[in-house]
This record gives sequence, structure tokens and C-alpha cells, in this order.
Amino acid sequence: MNKEAVVYASFGNFFRFLIQEMKPRGPWFTPFNVISIPIILIGVIILYFRFVYGLGSVVNLSQEVPWGLWKGLNVVTGVALAGGAYVITFVVYVMKVDKYHSIVRITVLNGFMAYTFYAGALLLDLGRPWFGYNPYIGNSFGFSSILFLICWHFLLYMLAAFIEFSPAVAEWMHWEKARKFLASLTLATVILGITLSLLHQSGLGALYLMAKTKIHPLWWSEFIPIQFFVSSVYAGLAMIIVEGTISHRVFKNFMEPNSHRSFEDIVLGLAKGAAITMFVYYFFKALLFIHEKQWELLNDGFGLWFLLEVIGFVLIPALMFAFGFKHKSVKVIKIAAVMALIGILLNRLNISIICFNWYADVRYFPSWQEFIVSMTVVFVQIWVFRWVVTRMPVLSSNHQHT
Amino acid sequence: MDSFYYVNIFETKGLEYLLLLCFWGLFIYLVLYLKSPANKGKD
Repeated sequence: MNKEAVVYASFGNFFRFLIQEMKPRGPWFTPFNVISIPIILIGVIILYFRFVYGLGSVVNLSQEVPWGLWKGLNVVTGVALAGGAYVITFVVYVMKVDKYHSIVRITVLNGFMAYTFYAGALLLDLGRPWFGYNPYIGNSFGFSSILFLICWHFLLYMLAAFIEFSPAVAEWMHWEKARKFLASLTLATVILGITLSLLHQSGLGALYLMAKTKIHPLWWSEFIPIQFFVSSVYAGLAMIIVEGTISHRVFKNFMEPNSHRSFEDIVLGLAKGAAITMFVYYFFKALLFIHEKQWELLNDGFGLWFLLEVIGFVLIPALMFAFGFKHKSVKVIKIAAVMALIGILLNRLNISIICFNWYADVRYFPSWQEFIVSMTVVFVQIWVFRWVVTRMPVLSSNHQHT
Repeated sequence: MDSFYYVNIFETKGLEYLLLLCFWGLFIYLVLYLKSPANKGKD
């Protein structure tokens, strides 16, 4: 066979392999599919109207409230929940704690997916998405704009996360040389990824610094960037616990028999980290509250809402994490993780939507189309995530250490 | 008696110092508490 024929044959094999892998596996009639498929279909129809008839045809946004559910939920909250990737890579590759190595790939994959879909969802929310490159070139707002920083960080972090995950892709494709080369890039990309994450997690908070007069004083502070960063650490840890629990149920066929026991050990370790971080975050919030002398603000509904968020979904889960770790109660830890995630959701939505323009007579409430599109983005992400996990060596612990 | 007055803790930094002292006290206790899990109450 001549050289050309070999190349054609290898391309043919490659495409046959890809087509084989694209075919669905497992049962179709599952509760998740039954719920997600209709929502995704409706979401696609709504997006058709959004792009043909404009943003105003499907959203309840206005000049006074230009940022709604898509940014508040998908971008601001979703990115915080993806914080687990940089925390775990820091612990494994920088601190050299090998115990968490088995969850690195799935956590990095989750982070990569979250950034890809949630940053991608930003394009849905731009009135003229074809000008989406403007923040990257510093057009109009210049290089000192926080959006300039965030857009570049999102882009670079997606690249870094993809390179961190790419050895798994190379293993899946049986490209041994490529795997070795990509694995050699891991430490450098991990350090780059951690640096970028520290800055853009806090940068997302910094976006709200200029909205001092619009955000309720209980939620606005000049330390929002630090709060966003610290809370992203425990949000990521809680997300790993919840996501790992679901993965252990859904993808149990892709795991080794003894992985359940090691996952419990990992959960205990994550709970310890989450307890300490949440404790620090809680006292930081308390210190800011006292420093600003905001006692009178607690007297109305917003005050009670603030207390619910800070005590109900920060302090209590922090204590539950500590209790669960001390008494090796994985059940308590899992409940605490769900509560911590609700707390993060509340905090981000409070800052971006609920307590934004809190004094206005006419408040923003998302349209049903906004809810459906938000769910569509999340469901499509889960579909792609599931496809990757069921095909690539993500969960098996015998993959080569990268 | 004019020379004596109570310090309003809500208007000074006194409360912030107290909170920080509480934080460090409780933080040290938390770290010691989380040093190792107890060997009971396993799920």
C-alpha cells in the first residue's frame, strides 16, 4: 500500500470510530431524558425567535434591567459552581495530595463544560452577538474594563481546562504520543488555570462594584470580589460532592467496585475544606455587616432574606460539614453540600437579580422563555457531559496519572 | 459625672475587634476539632 492509501485508510478508520462513538448507548426512556428532551426542543424554538425577532421578543429585560436570568443564573452562578476544577487541581498538582487524583478528570471536565456552555450562553444575551468580539479587543470600553479581563480570562481558562483534560481525549483516541505530550503540559496549564480562576472569579464580583446605588446595601460591598472568590472555593467543593454522588449512581457501571469506599474518603476531605472556607466566609460577611453598621437594615423583608442566606445557607451548612466530617456521616455532608449550593445560588441571584434595583416600583421578573432557555443550556451541558463520561476514560481510576 | 460617658460599641470599632477575637478563637477551635474524624457514627 502506498503512503496516500495508508493516510486514507487511517482517516476512514478515524471517522468510522467517531460515528460509532456518536451512536447513543443505554436506555432512551429514562426520567432525565423524558424531562430534558421536550425542554431542549422548546428552548431551541425560543432561541430561533430570539435570533430572528430580537432579544426583546423573549425576555423581560429593559434599559433599567439589562442583565437578567441568563447572566445571573447561567454565568454568575454557573461559573461559581465550576470553581471545583481549580481547587482540586491546586490540591492535587500543587499541594501534591494524591488522594483526590481520581476525581481530577471529572472535575476538570465539569469545569470545562460549565465555562464553555455558560460563557457561550453570554452570546444569547447580547443584543448584537456578532459584536461579541468587542470586549476582547478592548473596543469602546478600553483595556481597563472589567469585562475585558473577564472575557480574556474565560477564553484562556477554557483553553487551559481543555488542555488539562486533553490527555483523556488522547487516551480515548489511542494517541499515545499525543497523550504523553499533552500530559507534559498539565502542570503549566494547571498553574495558569488557577491564576486565571482566582482573577475571574473575583472579577465577576468586581462587575458589580459600579452598581453601588442599585444593589441593596446588605449585599453590596467594596469587598464583593473577595467574597465571590472565597465563596467559589466552597461552591466548587460542594458541587464536587453533589455531582460525585449523582455520578456514582448514574455511572456506576463505569467505576471500579471499590470506588465507593474511596469516594467516601474523598467526600470527608472535601467536607473539611468546605467547613473551614465557609466559616471564614461567614465571619467575613459578619465583619462587613458590623463595619457598615447595617443593623437597621435587618428590620424589613430584605433583612430577613439576608439572614436566611447568611445563617441558613452559610453558617448552618458550615457546621453540618464540620459535624459530618467529625462523625464520618456522609449523609449529613451531602445535605450540607446541597444547602451550600442553594446558598451560592441565592447569593448570586440576590446580587444580580433579586436585590438589584430593589427600590424600583416595577421589578424585573424573568419571562417563562428565559427560564426554559436557562434550563436548556443546563440540560444540553448535562447531555454532552454524559456523552463524554460514557466514552472517555474519565471515571476509571486506572488511567495513567497526568 | 460629665467627664464619664459610655462608649457606644455600635459606633466604634470595638465590636469589630470583638468579632475578630471571636473569629480567631473559634477558628482555632474549628481547626483542632477537624484535626481528625472520630471513629464512630459511620453511615
